[in-house]
Amino acid sequence: MQVLKRWKAMFVLLFLLLPATVMAQGLAPILSTDDLAKSLKDSGLVIVDIRKVEEYRAGHIPGAVGIFYNNWAPGRGGLMNEMPADEELLDLLSDNGIQSDSKVVVYGTTGTGADRVNVTRVAWALKYSGVQNVSVLSGGFEKWAVREKRDVSTEMARPKSRGYKGKFNKGLLAKKDYVIGQIGKAMIVDVREPAFFSGEQKLPFVAKAGRIKGAVNLPTGQVFEKYPPGDHLEACCWTYKDAASLKNMASGVVGSDLDKEIIVYCDSGRVASAWWFILSDVLGYKDVKIYDGSMEDWAKDDKAPMEP
Amino acid sequence: MYLGYVVDPELLKKDPHFRMGCVFCHKGNAKVMNREEAHKGLVERPSDNLRSCMACHKQITDNYAKSLHYTTAGLRTGVMPRFSKEELATFDEKVFQKSCRSCHAACGDCHVKGAPVGGISIGLIDKHKFVRKDEGKTCKFCHGGRVYPEYTGEYGGAPDVHYQKGMLCMDCHKKAEFHGDGNAYLTKGEVKQRPACKNCHKPGDEAKLTAQIAHREHEGKVSCYGCHSGAAYRNCYNCHGGHAEAKPGMILGRSPRDKKLLTTLRLIPTVRDTFAPAGIKMENYDALPNYWDTPAHNIRKRTDRTRNCDVCHVDRKNFLTREMLIKEGSKANEELLYVPKPINR
Repeated sequence: MQVLKRWKAMFVLLFLLLPATVMAQGLAPILSTDDLAKSLKDSGLVIVDIRKVEEYRAGHIPGAVGIFYNNWAPGRGGLMNEMPADEELLDLLSDNGIQSDSKVVVYGTTGTGADRVNVTRVAWALKYSGVQNVSVLSGGFEKWAVREKRDVSTEMARPKSRGYKGKFNKGLLAKKDYVIGQIGKAMIVDVREPAFFSGEQKLPFVAKAGRIKGAVNLPTGQVFEKYPPGDHLEACCWTYKDAASLKNMASGVVGSDLDKEIIVYCDSGRVASAWWFILSDVLGYKDVKIYDGSMEDWAKDDKAPMEP
Repeated sequence: MYLGYVVDPELLKKDPHFRMGCVFCHKGNAKVMNREEAHKGLVERPSDNLRSCMACHKQITDNYAKSLHYTTAGLRTGVMPRFSKEELATFDEKVFQKSCRSCHAACGDCHVKGAPVGGISIGLIDKHKFVRKDEGKTCKFCHGGRVYPEYTGEYGGAPDVHYQKGMLCMDCHKKAEFHGDGNAYLTKGEVKQRPACKNCHKPGDEAKLTAQIAHREHEGKVSCYGCHSGAAYRNCYNCHGGHAEAKPGMILGRSPRDKKLLTTLRLIPTVRDTFAPAGIKMENYDALPNYWDTPAHNIRKRTDRTRNCDVCHVDRKNFLTREMLIKEGSKANEELLYVPKPINR
């Protein structure tokens, strides 16, 4: 009888803890529209629409808050796409009721290369701020609304402001001096297309063509595929390739040692976020940083070693 | 009736604007099947003639005919003190009517099709729908060089805090500002319906004591923009024959309209020979400065100046200095210089 009571008590305790366990698990880092639709009523869910205010107001995923991309990656100190000051991030998170244990899903559009990486750049800023569960919506708003014709809302979300208490995770961001010190020690990954990696091409805002000395190349263009695959005439958007393909690509370049320090960079620190997110949140590499200044910052410093 | 790809046929059934058919506004001949005949006498931009809209929207078009968006009088008022009487007559004939006035917005430029700017048109706003407003297309297209990209953060820096909170142009700028109130104003400074920070942010309502003190101390001495403009904005240099060079910058100095007030200044592109091609020397060029007070649309709650008094009072960061003045600029520029004094602590 005593044993039966104990089992009963354990069962009740387990039942009570179940929601907390599910919450702690969070959502998949790369979230499908089906999974988001199933999770719309989850407690602690905050959907962040990073499109422009005009687009957000014209229609968004029900319940989403609109926080335009530029809020998460403003120009600072003469560089584009920089991490906002801590107090600015605190304002953004607090004003929108985001807590470190919130389940945040970021979505935007996927039409251009920049659009496709904006969501992961925002995910990086959220993780840097200490938000633990961050997902990005594969296929973006186009897949949700245009292709699948799911519900959209024009009602602006009015989140309740709550002081953000999370602990910042500053180890996710590398600055130039740190990167210089890690040459030969960390795996430095250039995520630009091969012509930029090899120095054949450069963007106008980058002072010199070339790459950081010792960097390896893992191009971002390989991360996405048109959706639906194989039928380009009807393609609505871009989704992430499956985890196995991403793993094959990544391990071929950075290896399979999940403990090795990896620093990813691009031209302005935006594109680098796609592989940063995949390496750290999808594939489980434990120490992945973004060099925020990237080549825009690096190439104008004659003391920063470059090749070829 | 044209039922092609441009105009959504569904719209034609729903919107009362289409009841009278395309020819009611665009003229031409709907009864013939020959393209050339059908387009004879076609009016591409019917609302350039306000009478097209007046039949149904009389009050609005009566007001709009006098509004600054239509008259573009502000452009003339802003530069006319530089001219002699004779030069003004030449300006009116050769520049204002031919160049400035071509920038006026007709009803359709905001409600149907974006205004062509520099010969480029964005086309229909939304399949020939008569939209009430669409700031991201209509306001942006004409104000997309300075105001709009500064507001959204696309020119650099973080977005204006009002954009961050989901606000668009017409959340502050009300309809009466665009359609006019029936008065023919010469400059936007005269328009009564303009927004003001204090309409929403009442002095004394600040949550923090430091903000209350800072606002009280600077009341009437520094404009809101002076402290809360968050990033460099676009300044245009050297307008020669319509070509100017734009550079980002933040410039603080005395307002040309109120010398007791410190504010954000924006360099305007007019230089001594800007109107030389029209035979205008600008005899009174020095009557106006080259820097004008500007309501920079990149407001942030926190800026380096709100964080630390020394940024202005010791470092004098961004303040216009004699060395910074443009070469061969107006003598009136000197009156805008201000040297902040250290605070007695």
